[in-house]
Amino acid sequence: MYQWDFTPVLVNSGMLAAGLGNTLKLTVTALAFGVPLGLGLALLRLARWRILSLPAGIVVEFFRTTPPMVQLFWFFFALPILIQVEMTPFVAAALTFSIQSAAFFAEVFRAGIVSIDSGQSDAARALGMTGAQSMRRIILPQAVKRMIPAFMERSIELMKTTTLVATVAYADLLFQANELAQKTFRPLEVFTVTALIYFAVIYFVSLVVHRIERRLAVSGETTVH
Amino acid sequence: MNHKWNFDAVWDNPEALLAGAVGTLRIFVICLVLGLSLGLLVGLGRYARRKWIYIPVSIFVEFFRNTPVLVQILWFYFALPILMPFEISPLMAAALGITLNSAAFSGEIFRGGIQSLESSQWEGAQALGMTHAQALRRIILPQAVKRMLPALTNRAIEIFKMSTLASAVAYVELLQQGKLIASINYNPIEAYTVVALIFFAFLYPLVQATYLLERKLRQGD
Repeated sequence: MYQWDFTPVLVNSGMLAAGLGNTLKLTVTALAFGVPLGLGLALLRLARWRILSLPAGIVVEFFRTTPPMVQLFWFFFALPILIQVEMTPFVAAALTFSIQSAAFFAEVFRAGIVSIDSGQSDAARALGMTGAQSMRRIILPQAVKRMIPAFMERSIELMKTTTLVATVAYADLLFQANELAQKTFRPLEVFTVTALIYFAVIYFVSLVVHRIERRLAVSGETTVH
Repeated sequence: MNHKWNFDAVWDNPEALLAGAVGTLRIFVICLVLGLSLGLLVGLGRYARRKWIYIPVSIFVEFFRNTPVLVQILWFYFALPILMPFEISPLMAAALGITLNSAAFSGEIFRGGIQSLESSQWEGAQALGMTHAQALRRIILPQAVKRMLPALTNRAIEIFKMSTLASAVAYVELLQQGKLIASINYNPIEAYTVVALIFFAFLYPLVQATYLLERKLRQGD
């Protein structure tokens, strides 16, 4: 029978804490760039001119259709040579996940904007607003409320996807766990604790999402997925 | 931007990419079949009235839905062999992680699909003298599957994408072979671009088919 021993994990818990910090840093950075970029892509995709909507559509489809792991390898190993700029693992990872999540957020934004009744933009035009004004003042404030659950679910997916950077040497929680397992020869305990840490963080966020979703449902708000 | 594109290492090693494609398809099919069948059981288990079925199944679903699949794969590869008397191959570890993850997610799809049918369907079947299992097989599932089809094809697409994670435990699939080709002449740009395009070629028709299916079902209902 295997003798479980969590002391090596407890003694080195600082390593895992540093990893969790890096995971959160990467997730927040990707969100901070991914959300505005996603909004931009959604607006471009909805534009009437094909010269704008077509390239935006290609970017969105490409990043939604290829595996994130392949994108990560491309940004890590191919892009720096192509543009001859050296990138730290953090920059390469943040770039990958910002663009990747922007593609998914773009679809959330687009679904939210399209879901708003066309009477709203007609009324805004009747009041003399320009297209940009009506988008900013009338459509988006209503659309954003509907997008909240889909948006938060996407953020949870993003956090799970950041674990892929462990394969290209950015010191996130999973990477640190791998290091710790090799150092202590206790992979069973280390990976079990790591899985539980991820579970605790992600489960907490999904509970918050469900609560918000229910509150929106009570207030009669429709949501998009 | 004065990179000289050189695809020689890619074209000179067609068997490497072919082996990768075979590996990708193999793990995709294994996880698709096992993941969805197990998912059906999970979905039924979450629908069960008996607590000793419902509770463990729910814990399984919540755990696998709320942890990253790469963590699951690495756990099966590095941690599980300590508890098991036998070796765990890269294929086994990756397939275990992806299959159980997909079972948890598709379990929720099956549950939602079954719940979406009105209770009159059950009552009608009961009135005709069918047992619970007969009603499920002959009346409920055929209708539910139709509603679940777009969500299930989306799952299939996710499984295809997740198969790349098997490269983290050195299972031979497309991305893993991409790494190999990248190291031949040190040409990561060409190797990873080709790999990305191959995945796009596989997945784009699947994605479009799903869109089409969604639209058709929405019109049909």
